[in-house]
Amino acid sequence: MANSIAIIKDVSYKYPRSVNFVLSEVNLEVVQGEYLGLIGPTGAGKSTLCLALNGIVPQFYGGRFFGSIHVAGLDTLEHPISTFATHVGQVFEDPVTQLISTSVENEIAFALENLKVSREEIMDRIPKALAAVRLEGMEHKHPHELSGGQKQRLAIAAAIAVQPDLLVFDEPTSQLDPVGAEEVFRTAYELNKELGMTIVMASHSAEEMAAYTDRIALMSEGKIVALGTPEEIYSDTEMLIEHEVRPPQVARTFYYIKKGGQAVPEIPVTMDKALPLLKKINKTSGYSLIDLPSPPVMVGEPLLSVKDLQHVYPDGTKAIHDVSLEIREGEYVLIIGQNGAGKSTLVKHFLKLLDPTKGVVCVEGTSTVDLEVSEIARRIGYVAQNPDNQIFNTTVSEEISFALKNLDYPEEEVISRTLEALQSMGLEEVKDMHPLALPKGDRARLVIAAILAMQPEIIIFDEPTTGQDYRGARYILDISKKLHQMGKTVIVITHHLYLMPDYAERVVVMGKGTILMDSDIRSVYHQTELLKSTFLTPPQSVHMAQMMQQEDPSFQALLTPEELAASLTQQATGSES
Amino acid sequence: MSMMKFQTVERNSFFSRLDFRPKLFMMAIVTIVAFLWESPLMQFVMALIIVITCLLVGVKWSYIRLILVIMTPFYLILLSTHAFFNRDQVMAIQNLTSADQLQRMFTFPESWPILGGAYASWDGFIYGLNVIFKTLTLTLIIPLGVFTTEVNNMIVGMVRAKIPYKIAFIFSSTLRFFPLLIEEFNSIIEAQRLRGLAMEKMGAIKRVRVYAKVAVPLILNSLVKSQQLEVVLQSKAFSGSPDRTYLHESILKLPDYALMVFFGLFFLVAVFLMIFFGIGTFGGPI
Repeated sequence: MANSIAIIKDVSYKYPRSVNFVLSEVNLEVVQGEYLGLIGPTGAGKSTLCLALNGIVPQFYGGRFFGSIHVAGLDTLEHPISTFATHVGQVFEDPVTQLISTSVENEIAFALENLKVSREEIMDRIPKALAAVRLEGMEHKHPHELSGGQKQRLAIAAAIAVQPDLLVFDEPTSQLDPVGAEEVFRTAYELNKELGMTIVMASHSAEEMAAYTDRIALMSEGKIVALGTPEEIYSDTEMLIEHEVRPPQVARTFYYIKKGGQAVPEIPVTMDKALPLLKKINKTSGYSLIDLPSPPVMVGEPLLSVKDLQHVYPDGTKAIHDVSLEIREGEYVLIIGQNGAGKSTLVKHFLKLLDPTKGVVCVEGTSTVDLEVSEIARRIGYVAQNPDNQIFNTTVSEEISFALKNLDYPEEEVISRTLEALQSMGLEEVKDMHPLALPKGDRARLVIAAILAMQPEIIIFDEPTTGQDYRGARYILDISKKLHQMGKTVIVITHHLYLMPDYAERVVVMGKGTILMDSDIRSVYHQTELLKSTFLTPPQSVHMAQMMQQEDPSFQALLTPEELAASLTQQATGSES
Repeated sequence: MSMMKFQTVERNSFFSRLDFRPKLFMMAIVTIVAFLWESPLMQFVMALIIVITCLLVGVKWSYIRLILVIMTPFYLILLSTHAFFNRDQVMAIQNLTSADQLQRMFTFPESWPILGGAYASWDGFIYGLNVIFKTLTLTLIIPLGVFTTEVNNMIVGMVRAKIPYKIAFIFSSTLRFFPLLIEEFNSIIEAQRLRGLAMEKMGAIKRVRVYAKVAVPLILNSLVKSQQLEVVLQSKAFSGSPDRTYLHESILKLPDYALMVFFGLFFLVAVFLMIFFGIGTFGGPI
C-alpha cells in the first residue's frame, strides 16, 4: 500500500531464552491515518509486535529476528531505537512504571529533551499535548496525584508531544476502572479522527475495540490469523471462541439468536447496529418469558459483619463512612465501585490490616479489635491482584505449608493439608519446582492452594481479573465458583461486570466511600443510573434488555447474551461456554 | 490511598527558591567543616543551626524526630565505645603520653568478673559527643538541600555543576522509585501476615529472617520493573547522553551568589581559626 506508515514483512521472532517463536511469519501493513486493533489471547504476540514497531524488539531484547519492519520508510534493524522515538509513540500497560518524571510537564518534556528539541519548542508543545488529552492546567502536578485514567492520558500526551507518525498502545486499559478505560479509548479515537494520527491498539476490551477501530488483526500463537473490519472479525464468533478471544456481548447475543434458529442477516458488533435488529426480531417473532434463577435467601448468623464503619486515613482522607454490611455463610458476594470508592479499604478492615476509626467489624461474631491478623488469616483467605507478591518460598509445597507452619499445626497435619491443597489445585506434579518457574496462571493457582490449606471459611479475591485475558479471568473465576460450591463464602472485587453473572449472587455497590446499593445481581445490574454514579457500566446485554423493556415493559430484566437469546428464540437458558 | 512520594517541603522559603548549585556547595562545605572540626561544642552549634534551619524551611519535625529515634541506639553505642575504648586517638590528639593522664568518669570495681578494672574516660566521652554531632550534621544537611529542591531543578543543577547526566538521572530515578519499592515491600509483608505470620509476636532475629524472605519477591519484582523502565526509557530516546536540552533552566541569581560567598568565607574563616587559634580542635579553646 502506498500510504502505509508501517510495513511488517515475513516477521518471525524468538526471545533469547524462549523455545518457540513469539511472532511467526507476520505480514501486516498499517495504513496512514487508520485505527488498527490487535486482539488475541495472552501470549499471542501482540506486545512483542508493538515493541517491534520501534525497534525495541529485537534491538533491546536480542533474540532471533527474521523478516523486516519498515516504519516511516526506515528499517527497524538499521536505525537506532532513538531514531524511532520521533516516529513511534508508545503507551504501555502499567500506568505507574511508564511515568518516570516528578511532574506532568516534565513527563511530557522528557522525550523531547532527549531528542534535543529546544526549550522554547518544548514549552510550546506541552500545553498543546495536555489539551489534546484534556489535562490542561495540570502541568505542575505530580503524576501520582492523577487518577489511573489521567495517568494513561498523561502517557499519551507524552507520546504525542513528540509528534509521532504512529501511536502504539499496548493494553493501556487493563489496569483501569471502566471510566478510566473509556477515557483512554475516547482520547485515542479523538486523536485519530481529529488529528489524523495513526493508532495501533492492542487490547482485550472487545466492546470498545468494536466501537472505535477501523480494522482488527486477530493474533494467535504468534500469527495473524484474521484481518478485517471489526464487523468481519467480531461477527465470526466461532473463530473467536477457537482462539479464546471474547467477542462483544452484542455479537455473542446475536450468535446465540442465530444459533437458536432466528434469521439474522448479519451479526452486529456494536450497540447502535444491534438495537434496530433486536426490535425487528421482537416485532416479527416476539419473545418469551424464560425461567430465571431466584436470588438465594441467606439465613443464619453472619460470618462477617460491619456496623457503622468509618475510616479516616492519617492525611485526613475519609475513605469510608456509614458502612454497615452482613455477609453470611455460603454467599458469593461481588463488591463493585470505581477506583477510590472504598472497596479495598473495606476489605482491609475484614482482614484487620486497617482498624476502624469508628464502628465495629466482626469476624464470626468476634470484633477484630480482639483478634490478631494471623488469627483472622485462619478464617479469611485473601488472594491479592498480583500473585507474585504472595510467593516467597523456594518450592511449591513449601509455599503451601508456609502458612500452616506459621499457624503451628502439627507436622502430620501440615503434610496432609499440604498434600490436599496440592491435589485440589492439580499441583502435585510441580510440588518440588520453584514457584516462580511456573506460568502465571499456575502461580495464581498456587496462591489459592496456599490459602486453601488454611481451610478458611471466607475467601476474598481482590481484582482477580485485572491484567488477565478472557481465558485467564474465567479460569480464576471458575476456581472461585468451585470453592463456592464446596460451601465456602466467596467475596470478589472486580470492575469486569460482564464476567460476573455466571458467578455472583449478591452485589454490593460502593461509591464515595459508602454503600450505594446491596442487592441481588439482577437488581443491581439493572440500576444503570446508580452504577453510572460510581462510574460503572453494566454489560451490553443489560442495555439491550433495557431497550427491549422500553419497547415492552413486561420484557424481563435479563443479564447475559444467553438469556437474551433464549428469550428471543424461546429456548431454555444455558450458561456461557 | 495515594501512593507515597519522596518528601519535599511544602513551604516556599528562601531556601526553596535557591538554585541547587549553591545548595550543593553548602552541603560540600558543611560536610568538609564537619569532618575538620573535632570540638564537640562547635559541632553541637553547627548541628543545632542546621536543625533550626531545617525546621524554618519546612522540613517536618516528625522527619527529624524519626532520624533521632533511628540514630539514638547508634549514638548510645558510639558514646559508650568512645568512653571505654577510644584512648589512643584522644591521647594522640591531646599529646598525652600515658592513659593515666585521661580524666576518668568511673571505673568498674576490680572484683567484677570480666568488667573489673575497666573504666570510661571523660576524654573519650567528649570525643564521642563530637562524633555524634558530626553525624547529625552530615545526616541533616542532606534533607536541607534535597527536600527544598524540586527534583527536576536538582537534575539541571547537578548537570550544570558538571555532575555527569547519567548520575543525575540515577539520583532522580532513585527518588522517584524508592517509594514504589517501599510500597511493594509493605504489600509483601502484608501478604505474609495474611498467611498466618504473627509479626507482632516475633523477636528481632525472627523478624530479620522474615525480612530476608521478602528479598526474593522484592528483587524479582524490581528486576521486572527495571526492565519495564528500561523499555520505557528506550522508547523515549533516552541514552544517558548529556547532549540533550532541558525544560528547566538553572540560572544563578544574587541570593545564590550570596550563599556561595557566605559558605566560601565560612570555610576560610573556619580553617583560619583552626590553624591559628585552635578553635574547632579537640581540647582547643572552644
